[in-house]
Amino acid sequence: MSSHPGYHGSYLRIDLTERRAEPIAIPPHVLRRFIGGSGLGTWLLLGESPAGLDPLAPAAPLVFVFSPLVGSPLTTSAKFAVMCRSPLTGRINDSLSSSHFAIAGKKTGHDAFVIVGECEKLTSLVIEPEGVRFESATELAGLSSSGAAEQFQRALGPGYRVAAIGPAGENLVRYATISHDGRHAGRGGSGAVMGSKRLKAIAVRGDRQAGYAHPERLLAYSKDLSQRSFGPATEKYRELGTVSNLLVFNRLGTLPTRNFQSGTFAGAATLAPEAVLSQFPRTRASCAACTIGCEHIFHFGSGSDSQAVRMEYENLFALGPLCGIADPEVVLKASAACDEWGLDTISAGGTIAFAMECAERGLIDAPELRFGNGAALLAMLDQIAHRRGLGELLARGSRAAAQEIGQGSADFAPHVKGLEIPGYEPRALQTMALGFAVGTRGADHNRSGAYQVDFSEAVDRLHVGPAAIPLAIETEDEATIMDSLILCKFLRGVFDDKLAAMAEMLGLVTGWEVTADELRRTAARIVNAKKHFNVLQGWTPAEDTLPARFFAEALPDGASAGANLSRTHLQTLITTYNLARGWSAEGYPTAGQVAEFPAAN
Amino acid sequence: MSVRIEFFGVPRHRAGVVGLDVAAATLGTAVLETVRRFPALKEFCAADGALCPGFLANVNGRTFVSDPATPLADGDSVLILSSDVGG
Repeated sequence: MSSHPGYHGSYLRIDLTERRAEPIAIPPHVLRRFIGGSGLGTWLLLGESPAGLDPLAPAAPLVFVFSPLVGSPLTTSAKFAVMCRSPLTGRINDSLSSSHFAIAGKKTGHDAFVIVGECEKLTSLVIEPEGVRFESATELAGLSSSGAAEQFQRALGPGYRVAAIGPAGENLVRYATISHDGRHAGRGGSGAVMGSKRLKAIAVRGDRQAGYAHPERLLAYSKDLSQRSFGPATEKYRELGTVSNLLVFNRLGTLPTRNFQSGTFAGAATLAPEAVLSQFPRTRASCAACTIGCEHIFHFGSGSDSQAVRMEYENLFALGPLCGIADPEVVLKASAACDEWGLDTISAGGTIAFAMECAERGLIDAPELRFGNGAALLAMLDQIAHRRGLGELLARGSRAAAQEIGQGSADFAPHVKGLEIPGYEPRALQTMALGFAVGTRGADHNRSGAYQVDFSEAVDRLHVGPAAIPLAIETEDEATIMDSLILCKFLRGVFDDKLAAMAEMLGLVTGWEVTADELRRTAARIVNAKKHFNVLQGWTPAEDTLPARFFAEALPDGASAGANLSRTHLQTLITTYNLARGWSAEGYPTAGQVAEFPAAN
Repeated sequence: MSVRIEFFGVPRHRAGVVGLDVAAATLGTAVLETVRRFPALKEFCAADGALCPGFLANVNGRTFVSDPATPLADGDSVLILSSDVGG
């Protein structure tokens, strides 16, 4: 295989059914046009995904993608993307995770792994430069993702890094995660795709270096970037973590509460970082090759029951206010349970909050399932992960549950395209409402950073007009490039001109003369490719919307009291967005845009 | 004219309090008076009271503002928060 600085120039296609692995060259022009991570993964997925193939079918691909920056001294670059057709949404799914798996995975000598087929029984996969091995994982069955990873890593010896699924993945929960070192490729159910292949764990080890075009300049740039990453732009993440968003969102009336029935939560103060810190010890950590150190790990319980859990705003909101829970110990326990079993906290919390509202309205028979009942929340997480009782239904997500429950419950099922909505109240953050509606993987705050526009002077977040569209696209384009390089979005505030800075980094690694304009075109190409994937998999314009609740009910209280959205107005924003993307008014990419991608088989 | 300053995130962490009341008619004078009372926040703003990159101001939970000349009304609340809201 010919290689280029930053790349090995190939992906490893692994067929689990045939127990065979084959390196396949990636054309150099593809690397430049799709970069890596989420971008390159989209290109690979397009070539490997027949239209209409069940995401849990053996032939469905599960793709792990590295990037040109992985392994470099650039801070926060130790990341990898996991791509699949989501079993939760039926649409494209790219979830990113971090740390040593990314570095060791790239050192196997490949830029990506494309995994197809299925194993006869639960299996673990070992990928090294010398080839791949398949090992029985029956002894790991039912173990947590971290427990399985530790046991497998211990058996293999030093030098290996392991990503694994927990019971939720084995049980095909549609929002199961893939975990590595306590971090999760979290959204959209890639863990269920891995579970459908009876693949419990993947171990990687290697010594292959992709090399850099300008190593000395890259090192100098990296030192400077690391220095800047210690500054005020990242202080929030370092000192407080994303959990500090909770009180801000509550004050602004943008904190989703009791299944989006309110934008404020009376118990917010008890869940604030200061309050939690006064009751539970905290330690800090960081991903491999990161100088920000955003991880805030809280310790609870005692003796043999002591546990530690990494807390972020999203699990705090989803397992706290969204379910009406004000007890911080319950939220810590629920977060730890999701980690243990491998559940996406946003979808788990969103689906349970939906079920709580159904139960309170008398639409389902679940007497204990009430907003604020922490014991019921913990019991339901167990039922979902192990697909018992009502958990069997809720393991399929809020959209599927609403379809079965009926009785108008779809109006308040909190999802877009089947993906549960993260912790940003769309009526009070209307640029984000647009971002949720048009997001290719569904309601998503990572692929669209439109909330940054709402939290600025550029728009009136309660009455957003077409002027917000180019700003929303700019955040989506920046996120697309960050997810393809891959860099952590917590670096955003460090750069004056993000695309120019990212172009410089990519140039130092690859030797390409990259400009911000080229990256802007690359971002548009990747967004087009994701949309094209969805079109091939049955997307229709009707999917680009929000649940009916957001058009029918104004926010009742707080600083955003009275905020509402009209369906007509959101549709106007969506049409303007589509046209600005160069698509048809309905949202279909043009033939010229589609011609840049491989045809699906 | 009395204005309520509310701290969130890093500003609250640095100040060590939830907020304070100051006498001010504009955003800039409110910020400068806040910094005078809490020197730990002095790197948050320029000499004219404009907040430095990394921090945001919001009036009454509704409107984000940055111009130090922004007029304030008696009883307004000015939220001072980290600019990287979200994540």
